[in-house]
Amino acid sequence: METSFALIGKGYVIVAADTTSARSIVKMKNDEDKIKTVSPHLLMTYSGEPGDTVQFAEYIERNLRLYQIRNIYPLRPAAASSWIRRSLAESLRSRHPYSVNLLLGGYDTSLSEPKLYWIDYLGTVTEVPFAAHGYGSYFVLSLMDRYHDPEAPLEEGLETLKKCIQEVSKRLIVSPERYKVKIVDKDGVRDIDL
Amino acid sequence: MSVYRSPGFDFSNSTRNNFLLNKGVPLPKATSTGTTIVGCVFKDGIVLGADTRATEGPIVADKNCEKIHFITEGIRCCGAGTAADTEFTTALISSNMELHALQSGRKPRVVTAMTMLKQTLFRYQGHIGAALVLGGVDPTGPQLFTIHPHGSTDKLPYVTMGSGSLAAMAVFESKWSANMERQEALDLVILAISAGIFNDLGSGSNVDACIITADGTEMLRNVDMPNQRVQKERDYKFRRGTTAWTKEDVRKFVVEETVTSTDEMDTS
Amino acid sequence: MSIMEYNGGSVIAMAGKDCVAIASDLRLGNQMLSISSNFQRVFPVTDRIYIGLPGLATDVTTLRERFRLRVNMYTIKEEREIEPEAFTHLVSSTLYEHRFGPYFISPVVAGISKTPTGGIKPFIAATDLIGCINFAKDFVVSGTASSKLFGVAEGLWEPDLGPEDLFETISQTLLNAVDRDAFSGWGAVVHVITKDQVITRKLKARMD
Repeated sequence: METSFALIGKGYVIVAADTTSARSIVKMKNDEDKIKTVSPHLLMTYSGEPGDTVQFAEYIERNLRLYQIRNIYPLRPAAASSWIRRSLAESLRSRHPYSVNLLLGGYDTSLSEPKLYWIDYLGTVTEVPFAAHGYGSYFVLSLMDRYHDPEAPLEEGLETLKKCIQEVSKRLIVSPERYKVKIVDKDGVRDIDL
Repeated sequence: MSVYRSPGFDFSNSTRNNFLLNKGVPLPKATSTGTTIVGCVFKDGIVLGADTRATEGPIVADKNCEKIHFITEGIRCCGAGTAADTEFTTALISSNMELHALQSGRKPRVVTAMTMLKQTLFRYQGHIGAALVLGGVDPTGPQLFTIHPHGSTDKLPYVTMGSGSLAAMAVFESKWSANMERQEALDLVILAISAGIFNDLGSGSNVDACIITADGTEMLRNVDMPNQRVQKERDYKFRRGTTAWTKEDVRKFVVEETVTSTDEMDTS
Repeated sequence: MSIMEYNGGSVIAMAGKDCVAIASDLRLGNQMLSISSNFQRVFPVTDRIYIGLPGLATDVTTLRERFRLRVNMYTIKEEREIEPEAFTHLVSSTLYEHRFGPYFISPVVAGISKTPTGGIKPFIAATDLIGCINFAKDFVVSGTASSKLFGVAEGLWEPDLGPEDLFETISQTLLNAVDRDAFSGWGAVVHVITKDQVITRKLKARMD
């Protein structure tokens, strides 16, 4: 089952998503990257209806890029979350709404602060210290509530993330085997190999 | 985006709401005035009456709301059904009546208001859930109508509507007579509404009445208050500091500034 | 499960002596799963008007943006700040415009209005999801805990409470009501509005 989670630490956001691509009961692929780098300091995980997800993520990615080309500066995480929400809310009022759930992790270079937004397909947005989507969220949210520390250094944040991944592997019936993990901080975006 | 918005209803949420509805979530209920409203003709005019309870399912949402709406100086309208619908429909017809009176230069008539209301309601095929008692005095004399949500109307000497209509009608049937005096008619209306207040669960609290004659209109807000709350025997103030809070933020609108004197500027 | 219970949340407003208070919980949920314990659903409109928007969370954001636009347009056109009464009618007509495809929000407005004589008057009002206004003199409630809030407020509210006493009364009313509601709670925030200041306090609440 699709699972994605993210958490904030001292000056960074860790974002993780499983890498399985499934159709019905069949696993089609296990190296799918479901985290898009939508601007230099902004990561977005996407899950939901296959097809919708990639289409919507690319739409967001290209539009945020266009904004940066036009205005030199990219949108800050708060502004980006607001615009993405609006796109979803408007899509929901059309005949074929996007069924996409997102986690938006970014580093606000003006405030020098990490930011994380939880967004669902209805257009609900909330800023959170840690977040999750999918069936894994039922396990992971309680774990992060216990272990999360917004002032934790990167190593500790990754430890918490590992705990989460282990728990999901252990308890979820059809748990994903691999995760893609990315980090965004003041230096931008990078991949992490656990 | 323009300052000016197009008139009429906006259906932009409908596709989304149908989508949510198809996921098996029922639409929530709006405030309704499960109501007793009445009207009766007397010797030289009309008396309208209403209770003052607004309900939201089983909850009493408002204990003293106003259900006798203004149409024109000599025409008033009691509303039952979906509260927002009665409120907005009467307000719409009220402004159209004013424009009509200005346009024609004549005193507005009750039939005009009745026709506007029934045509509006008929157009919406009952989806605007307003059940109304319309009464007033115009150059043709005292007039009293009921208007149903689908747009049908009745013209009768005494009428009742809403969930308490049966209780109120029972009172009218036993006590109403032609050519009553003003006070007699008012007392009867109060009695009819009281029957609704005490016997119908959708109705409650106080009695509002409105007496309309050729000489003028008298709005009697809360003429009878049979359900006044008694003085509380003691107060339930909390000791200051009972509530624990973690963070406080005070925004002051009054700018406080302190003036400090410095050495005088050397102007030589 | 009604759509109004999908995200949970409740708001209450009370009138006092020359002051009003508006309070809400901070939970954002997805049915029985809590997502956030810091979800803002009470927003300042002007210095002296606050609006609470309990209901479907996506509509909280949409309506907040809509009201901000319409209030800004009003301020520019009229060259003055909007009064609570006018703002409540603005809210009401916005909701009624969507009579046949509503926003799933039942707003609560709290503010201090100016009287023609230059005095001030506490103002509170609530509307249902299609904009039927309820002007109250004592208190108004809304959201998933509204039935509980009605009961507690009916017992605890009394007339002419000063800002500090009103804070205690509204806080205890909210806290005790949301403790009996599974979909509300997880922290609370209270705004006490007076003539010359607004005090905002985050309450220490049960986190279950």
